[in-house]
Amino acid sequence: MRKWSIMLTMVTAAAVVLSGCGSNDNGGSGNNGGNAATTNDSGGNNTGGNAGGNAAAGNDAGSANSGEVVTIRTNITDGELSKDQIAEFEKAHPNIKVEIETVDATKLAAELATGDAPDVIRLSGVFDLPNYVIKGIALDLTDRMNTSTVIKQDDLLPISNVYRFDGKTVGAGPIYGLPKDWSNDYAIFYNKKLFDAAGVAVPDPTKPLTWPEVMDLAKKLTIKDGDKVKQYGLAANEWGKTEPNFNNLLQYLLSAGVDVSAADGASVDFNQPAVKDYIDMWVDAVKNNVGPNSVNNDQTSGGDLFFKDQVAMIIDGYWYSGAIRNNEGAKTHLADYGMLPTPTAPNGTRVAPTGGATGAIINKASKHPDEAWTFFEWFFGGKPADDRASTGWGLPIFKSKMDLLPKDTDFDKQVNAVLQDELNYTSEYLKVNPYLAGGGWSIFDKYVQPLYFGKSNLDEAISGMTKDANVAIQEAKDAVEASQ
Amino acid sequence: MKEKTKRTIAFYSMISPWFVVFIIFGLYPMLYGLYLSFTNYYGFNIKHLKWMGLQNYHKAFTDSDAMYSLGRTLYVTAFNVPLSVAIGLGLALLLNRQVRGVSVYRTIFYLPSIVPALASVIMWKVIFSSNNGILNGILSTVGLPEVNWLGYDYATTSLLIMLLWGAGGGVLINLAGLKGIPRDLYEAASIDGATPIKRTIYLTLPLMTPVIFFNVIMGIIGSLQIYMQPILLNGTELLARPIQPNYLYFVHAFQQIFAFQRFAYGMALLWILFLAILALSVVVFTTSKYWVHYETDQE
Repeated sequence: MRKWSIMLTMVTAAAVVLSGCGSNDNGGSGNNGGNAATTNDSGGNNTGGNAGGNAAAGNDAGSANSGEVVTIRTNITDGELSKDQIAEFEKAHPNIKVEIETVDATKLAAELATGDAPDVIRLSGVFDLPNYVIKGIALDLTDRMNTSTVIKQDDLLPISNVYRFDGKTVGAGPIYGLPKDWSNDYAIFYNKKLFDAAGVAVPDPTKPLTWPEVMDLAKKLTIKDGDKVKQYGLAANEWGKTEPNFNNLLQYLLSAGVDVSAADGASVDFNQPAVKDYIDMWVDAVKNNVGPNSVNNDQTSGGDLFFKDQVAMIIDGYWYSGAIRNNEGAKTHLADYGMLPTPTAPNGTRVAPTGGATGAIINKASKHPDEAWTFFEWFFGGKPADDRASTGWGLPIFKSKMDLLPKDTDFDKQVNAVLQDELNYTSEYLKVNPYLAGGGWSIFDKYVQPLYFGKSNLDEAISGMTKDANVAIQEAKDAVEASQ
Repeated sequence: MKEKTKRTIAFYSMISPWFVVFIIFGLYPMLYGLYLSFTNYYGFNIKHLKWMGLQNYHKAFTDSDAMYSLGRTLYVTAFNVPLSVAIGLGLALLLNRQVRGVSVYRTIFYLPSIVPALASVIMWKVIFSSNNGILNGILSTVGLPEVNWLGYDYATTSLLIMLLWGAGGGVLINLAGLKGIPRDLYEAASIDGATPIKRTIYLTLPLMTPVIFFNVIMGIIGSLQIYMQPILLNGTELLARPIQPNYLYFVHAFQQIFAFQRFAYGMALLWILFLAILALSVVVFTTSKYWVHYETDQE
């Protein structure tokens, strides 16, 4: 009998494997693999208070007649939408209740899979939108957008078109959503103190560097004391290591004028000189220790190093100026910091694309699309949009709200001057394969990581990632076609 | 009503609450997952499922990542299970002694098991780091060369060290087993002149085999399902890809489902893991009659 009770326990334990592996893992920060490059939302301290205002005038046609109270669920985070703001909205719209649902990427995937996703779905415009559209999850908002009195189409910046997708090209076709804010995510912020320590001049902010020039600069800025690094030259982002990543590759390719995807998105081919140059350049940077990486095994994140005066430059967009302004150590000497324009590929065209454009769509399966739209309109065009712009944690999508950005200090002025120039190069979007979506990040890491350790070579890596990506794309495409 | 029938009814009515919950929240999702593993389920097409037969299972055996990760998982298990069982038992033997403050030690050794995995990974990252990491600090103090604990060559060793840090979790059940051994057996052995070492080898260990057996089985089941530790040891979020040597099977399944939305394929991978767990358990079970000692006769 004892044997059998052990057997039973064993089977039960094994059953845990099969009944959903995402159950006990809410530990991770769980942001979507794809949009990891832009955590524009890390500090989104919306002030709240007197929200509501102009949104009440919106065209809530469908909601007025029923009189019943409906609940709109959204996974916009509580850092982006405060309780006070929700209260204001609900006061102005007594028929709508707003419920914030905290989901990580895995839970959202599960909710989408079971048809239980929120009414207003928060996502990365660049990496998720095309994928959501081809899967039929996103509601077409074109007509509502065109007639909206809150969101005026002629006031929108070109960047908002990243939520347009016609099945092949991002930026064209129906409108499915809007970014809450955005940034030129591949620009560079610097700390002048560390340039001085290395005896290197800060580059001219009116001209973009090329990426190889950035790497050379990073090497010059890296100061070693024997084996130990005293200061690094470059951080690739605020949360991780100074290593290449898929998003960053796409910016480089956009500048180089290369698209790894076939025109219909049905296949990819990484076997292109620009891809090889990009990987070579970064593997060299890893081997030269210009930042914390897998080989030197420094576990300090780029952002920590930047604020500890241990890394001279960090690749980040405008939103990072908000992080600098709000950092206790940095805010006392803001004049030491500044932004450089987004670098280009060698001989490439100048582009300053967004790498995230986090925003939202309305779920096609929503039972209350009209109420969801009322909320959507208010969140993207109403008071919350003003609040967001004035904090400087991201760029507004409206021309008219650009004036709300911080502009008092010399730091603000330097950043704004570079930004004005950058705005002229933001109408192109990263070429994301709609079928591969977030998977590209994982495939890229799989094949590039061994290169740092000399466990593989470039040709193997390129052919491996091409093969893996095409398998994933083909399968996703078959599933999409079978469901149409 | 016959006595036996009565007892049967009593038995089933008593286990029914657990059973009902198991059927609804355990068995049904499992079987539904099994069904999905034969389809082209991609996370959005539940209304347009296509029957794919065994294609997903076939794919698992031709997918180099799946086979590679299964190999790595078995490798980790081959070290993790014996070592953690041995460490758990060894600690329990020490903690079973009547020394001052033993309850404090018991708490200390059990502590790692109640620390959330995420917290322990963050702590170990600091220990393994090359920048002021404690482990390399110790190595350089004693004059040994520093190593990259999270790099290609040592990542799996580091994972094992981290997992074995939690081996104290087995202490609790081992201690319970040790307390269950009748004291008079030890007294008799002492009178016969058995040394403490002989008493441990010829008395304690044989009588502890049922507990060891249980720990081995549970260890195998747990070890084959490890996924969070390797992911977070190298990455900062759950969709990050661990360094290649730590790319374990469950991580692969997790990636397929949540990074690629290959739900059907992921389900197939998990069912293959289920079968592997079952097979390994059966192997351990069949060998048990040669080494597991029960004091009472088994039905």
